[in-house]
Amino acid sequence: MLINALNGFVYGSLLFVLSSGLVLIYGLRRVVNFSHGALYMLGAYIGYAVAVRFGFLAGVVVAALALGLLGVVLDLVIFRQLSARNPLVTVIVTFGVMLILEDFVRTVWGTQNYTIDPPAVLSGVVQIAGAPFPVYRLFIVAASAAMAAGLGSWLRWGRTGLFVRAASFDAKVAAMCGVRTSVIGPMVVGLGAAFAGVSGIIAAPFLSLNPSMGSEILVLCFVVSVVGGLGSFSGAFLSAMLLGQVQAFGTVYTPELASLLPFLLMSLMLVFRPQGIAGMKVSS
Amino acid sequence: MKAMFATRAEAITGLIVALAVIMASVAVEAWGTRILVSLLSQAVIVSFLAFAIGFLARTSNLVSFGHAAPFGLGAYGTAWVLSNGSPLPPELGLLLVVPAVAGVFFLVGLVVSRLEGIAFGMLTLALGQGFFVAASKFRGLTGGADGRIIDLPRRLFGLRADVVQSPYGMFVIGLAILALVYLALRAFEATHTGRLAAAIRENDERVRFLGYRSRALKAAVFALSAAIAALGGVLYALYQGFVSPEILHWSYSGSALIMSILGGTSLLWGPIAGAFAFFFLRQELSALTTHWLALVGATLVVVTVAWPSGLSGGIAALLSRLGLRTRQGAAP
Repeated sequence: MLINALNGFVYGSLLFVLSSGLVLIYGLRRVVNFSHGALYMLGAYIGYAVAVRFGFLAGVVVAALALGLLGVVLDLVIFRQLSARNPLVTVIVTFGVMLILEDFVRTVWGTQNYTIDPPAVLSGVVQIAGAPFPVYRLFIVAASAAMAAGLGSWLRWGRTGLFVRAASFDAKVAAMCGVRTSVIGPMVVGLGAAFAGVSGIIAAPFLSLNPSMGSEILVLCFVVSVVGGLGSFSGAFLSAMLLGQVQAFGTVYTPELASLLPFLLMSLMLVFRPQGIAGMKVSS
Repeated sequence: MKAMFATRAEAITGLIVALAVIMASVAVEAWGTRILVSLLSQAVIVSFLAFAIGFLARTSNLVSFGHAAPFGLGAYGTAWVLSNGSPLPPELGLLLVVPAVAGVFFLVGLVVSRLEGIAFGMLTLALGQGFFVAASKFRGLTGGADGRIIDLPRRLFGLRADVVQSPYGMFVIGLAILALVYLALRAFEATHTGRLAAAIRENDERVRFLGYRSRALKAAVFALSAAIAALGGVLYALYQGFVSPEILHWSYSGSALIMSILGGTSLLWGPIAGAFAFFFLRQELSALTTHWLALVGATLVVVTVAWPSGLSGGIAALLSRLGLRTRQGAAP
């Protein structure tokens, strides 16, 4: 029982870190990044390629840097250029980017599954309430919590974080007040992409690597966003945790229906509370 | 006088479309190679899906990432009504598949049409994937990932049924139905309800202010679009003789979306042109390179950014330069 809840917690925290990247980008650019799952997948593969040669930590660092850089490029080349157009145009373009990245991964690494062992320090098991539990899963929770807390406090108390919030609230007025919004954009999208990349490599020893991992988790991130209410960190947190628990208990009690439960949850939410947990009205 | 002209213009359009269908059928019969005919019949079937997505984008300005769901339901529905488990005679069952799917998606539409823009796209992607997962899980009903073979009866509607499984037969049947659907939608857009649907796209709030109920009509447009996709699914199942969950996967919705954007959604026939262009492009490109997916993605990016009116917009601009007018809707 406790172990189930913990497993749900692990999955939920991964989903939250990934979704918070989506929320961050949505907040500033008013665009949902359909390539977010592909960024997560690319992070996992790049991290894997580095980790097998230079160790796990190097993999995490390189994945973060590479994906951060890619995010900056994406912002400069796509999001900024299209910011005056209908947001749907940008969404369709990010969908195209997703296809390109997926093809890239298939070309470089093929379509087979890869697995990677957690680093030696984190590879043991601990006894929790008399049942064994892998240390690595606890590490996932800790790392996700650290990332989320770091992001949260940076946005809340940091000077640059304040600028990001200001630019997300109203970019024009923020620019008039002296915020350099041209720097904020690449920074936010880069950060969001780096978050996706890091969660990819951190998830790699827990799940496994294959070219459809990106789209699978993207769909779940969308479920998180719809349930939580688009553009809200706290809504995303609650719904990611809820979804993690639903998944964990679902696989134990109704293994047949487990993979359908997130969609059922989403449908119920839509019928009874279409604005999501956080209750922000979503529009184009 | 004006009404007279409108109906006459409609009649002329109908005549032109009918002539085009007959000419295409004769030309393909005379000159089509086997590969070309099989390519054309596949393109006709998938163009229903692209057409459905384009119609929704044009009428309601909603971009669906999950239209494989009604398409797949149409295909699975066909498999079911032709199987031994169905209580109805196959002909009656076949005729009921599309209305049944439309009914289901009317209810879905009542819920999802509360959202718009990006949220609608995310939601349809997730819902569509839900259908994919369901089809893979309920093995008893769908055969799971292995799919289901369709028991095609010997005769359907008094005709030999294996015609639908020959590429040329399917091409002609599919094209004729497609033309009928096209003409019906054209007529729909000219009706009071069709104009009201366009008005809701432009400003939902004002339409409600004028005293109309907008929600049911939005759901009805969604259901109509789902019905077109389901019709394509029925033809797909008859032609292939086999259905598997891959036609419910989001990538299937995605490629149909790409077709409709490639063709352009500002004109009603744009997505159909896009579907045919897509199939020929794929045929040509897959001979040259294996990076098919990346090319599709790149095409999508370039067309959306640089050429939002798509193929049909380009052709229409060319025609209007030659002095011919075409009816234009809203660009996405």
